[in-house]
Amino acid sequence: MEKMKNQTKLAYWMAAVLLAVGVLSYTAFSAKPPEEPVRIMLTASAGNVLFTHDTHSGSAGYGVDCFTCHHHPDGDDYALRSCGDCHNLPEDGSTPDICLECHDEGDFELDMVPSRADAFHIQCAGCHEEMGAGPMKEECSMCHVR
Amino acid sequence: MANQKRFIVSHAPFWHDGSSVTERSYHMMLAALPAVIFGIIKYGMPALAVTALSVSSAILWEAAFRRISKENETVGDGNAALIGLIFAMLLPATSPWWVVVTGTFVAIVIGKEIFGGIGSNPFNPVAVAAAFLMLSWWKYFDFNAALVHYPFDHMAVYPLSALKNFGLSSVEGLTLADLLTGKQTGGIGTTFSLGLIIGGVYLMLRGIIRWEIALSFIAGVFITATIFKANNPEQYAGPMIHILSGYTLLGAFFLATDDSSSPVNLVPMLLYGLMGGLMVVLIRNIGAYIDGTILTILLINTVNPLLDKIRPKALGKVV
Repeated sequence: MEKMKNQTKLAYWMAAVLLAVGVLSYTAFSAKPPEEPVRIMLTASAGNVLFTHDTHSGSAGYGVDCFTCHHHPDGDDYALRSCGDCHNLPEDGSTPDICLECHDEGDFELDMVPSRADAFHIQCAGCHEEMGAGPMKEECSMCHVR
Repeated sequence: MANQKRFIVSHAPFWHDGSSVTERSYHMMLAALPAVIFGIIKYGMPALAVTALSVSSAILWEAAFRRISKENETVGDGNAALIGLIFAMLLPATSPWWVVVTGTFVAIVIGKEIFGGIGSNPFNPVAVAAAFLMLSWWKYFDFNAALVHYPFDHMAVYPLSALKNFGLSSVEGLTLADLLTGKQTGGIGTTFSLGLIIGGVYLMLRGIIRWEIALSFIAGVFITATIFKANNPEQYAGPMIHILSGYTLLGAFFLATDDSSSPVNLVPMLLYGLMGGLMVVLIRNIGAYIDGTILTILLINTVNPLLDKIRPKALGKVV
């Protein structure tokens, strides 16, 4: 009987200590995401794409300059915002708020902004074809998961 | 004369050998520790958070359920803690807290307690919880999406996902050493295959899990994957990647061997394990899911009562 009581006490102590560790690890000591993405999971109806950001941008990888893909205009801090911030036009045809942070409404044509999917296809497939490396335009399943 | 002694059982009182449910639970947790510690070192604080919260919440759910239902306290037997630990091993290190807490609730309350507690559950509680979460919030089990912030020094794509989506050539770079030493992505406690094997062998040698189930499960995976590979070597992966990646080893040693949801006789145990291994590879190779282990465990749990009908003939003559 005494043994069972001790076992129960041990279980409660274990629960209390681990609960404290768990809560603290989730809150005070939680890991922050890196400033520069390592990989990005691009969600798409045709199947998600895991983009290896560090392999493309890092000096140990292909060393692609940031402003080759992030372009608004070159060198501007705004250029380093994530792609979907701008290439994500509302379906109702209104001008997204993010555009109005820098531009006045009527300063530009929304038609000039490619959709997120088009922007990625132009950037990814275009660069791959130019470099003659990596998956090409018609090789959908090389990037998109089924 | 010597043979006759085999069937002699003395009268009571008997001497208890000292083994208990508590002892078994803690031995299983000890066996899981190498893989868990490796996972915490590999994934850091987020993995510690998930593991600690999973074990503690499992204990607290069981204590709460027992108190509400006015039953005896059972958290002392360590089974709730064990369920929490194994459940954490399946999860990606970055799982949100509510996924962990919901999972342990499903495992303890729906998977175990509503059937009457330990020894009465027809399905493995951890497999019930994992299946529930996978079907409800599948994206939290997408290891590729969950681990995007980790700069791994090995292949960053979950091997079974790569195999399913990009074919055999995408996993050709993975060596046997990589798979054994944890140079692959996956759940907190599922990447370090060597640790799982050491834990499994320890449990089999101690007699805590039945070797017949664990080894036949692995044999089932090996045989089925070998047949697929022999039929179409360019499309299907060999047995090693199926055994050493995903949930296979955890399933073989820690899930399929759950006492109350697995058979007790030799032939049923072997069939149970073989069927499990067969299903894992069938689901992976021709099914819709990336890793079929969790659904397989539930499936063989369902077949368990039927398999247990295969039993030795009773001695003597029944009139």
